[in-house]
Amino acid sequence: MYRIEIDRSLCSGFGICAELAPEVIAVGPDGLAVIRVGLTDDPAVLEAAESCPMAAITVVAENAA
Amino acid sequence: MLPRTVLVAGAGLAGARTTETLRAEGFEGRVILAGDEPTAPYERPALSKGYLTGLKAEDELLLRPARFWKDAGIDLRLGQRVDSVDTSRRTAVLSTGEELAWDALVVATGARPRSLPFRAPRGVHTLRTLADATALRATLVPGARLAVVGGGFVGAEVASTAAALGLDVTMIEALAVPFERTLGPAVGRLLAERYRSRGVDVRVGATVTGFREDGSGSLTGVELAGGDVVCCDTALVGIGTAPTRDLLPERPSDRLYACGDVTASGGHWASAAAGGAAVARRILGLPPAPAQPSFFWSDQFGLRLQLVGETTRATDVRVDGCADTFVARYHDVRGRLVAALAANRPAEVARLRTELAHGPKTEAERRQDRLVPAACAFL
Repeated sequence: MYRIEIDRSLCSGFGICAELAPEVIAVGPDGLAVIRVGLTDDPAVLEAAESCPMAAITVVAENAA
Repeated sequence: MLPRTVLVAGAGLAGARTTETLRAEGFEGRVILAGDEPTAPYERPALSKGYLTGLKAEDELLLRPARFWKDAGIDLRLGQRVDSVDTSRRTAVLSTGEELAWDALVVATGARPRSLPFRAPRGVHTLRTLADATALRATLVPGARLAVVGGGFVGAEVASTAAALGLDVTMIEALAVPFERTLGPAVGRLLAERYRSRGVDVRVGATVTGFREDGSGSLTGVELAGGDVVCCDTALVGIGTAPTRDLLPERPSDRLYACGDVTASGGHWASAAAGGAAVARRILGLPPAPAQPSFFWSDQFGLRLQLVGETTRATDVRVDGCADTFVARYHDVRGRLVAALAANRPAEVARLRTELAHGPKTEAERRQDRLVPAACAFL
């Protein structure tokens, strides 16, 4: 499982994360990214984090214990 | 074959992102990140924003927590500039005199601010490094007079900060409006209007011919062609940067890579980050990540400007909105959207980026997804 965090003070609303991992991240009404599901097994979040131009997304792998 | 040792010269964003990506992609060899500044990799954009106002402290600028580099097995050499490289022997000499061997070398040495061709008295600043920002910050006291030479993003952000701090600010721009070449005259007029409404004296079409100083060698003014003198205590020269190409050989060399501002890729944060990651993938023989439209943002005078795409190919600009909030759409000769600038319209940015990333739209298609009706017409 992956736990994701978004630093909204860094987010600048580029939106690539919501496009790459739409199940997990959305763009909120203020134009900034919001987390839909904090814990996921969707590997798309890795690509979303890597693609963020602001490096605002942190993904931590957690053991599904 | 994978290299055993990757040496990255330059510990700014591009260099740092190279080393992070190498590790994130599983590279297990030696990674050395050497930079001439004494501070761990930090956010340069904040230097002209939160750091100048005092909202952000030095440790809040760091790209990663201090222990990150050690934990990731990245050998971070601060205050150790790579002085020379030998591409045939694959060695490098640091400013400390130490010689290092490498199998892959990444030149991420960034850029230096351009300066004016006049002797600069005390009080004339440029802004690139944390040390520059610390020196400039000390001069930004209420009531002081600041002249900003050059109407670029760094200059505009410093002008904004200084005006908010209660300084008397003059912007000196060579062209007819600020950002005329990068954002176009229509947007430039909107921004100039905004700056003036915030109390900044915007001088356009103005050429600097020299600095004035007192008997002790301190700045007293900036001389303009035509004889005007802008009296000031501090001047910030923000007329662009020149790549620090000292380490780059004349011809491409095997196993030598470059990324960030040294490649003159636009001098933007996101392109430096993407460039660093792309170089790491090339070193590891991985396919390139999908390209994204370039992205840049600037906070100034209560506006958050977000620019997606490249305005260089634009032949036509359409602006919807007014000086408080607008969207500018840039089209090429064939009517395709090549860039968009959102000012205080963060909710539009993701959609504009999608439109840029997923293929050009024709005029007819664009009519169908008109923007929010303009609150006030401009142009």
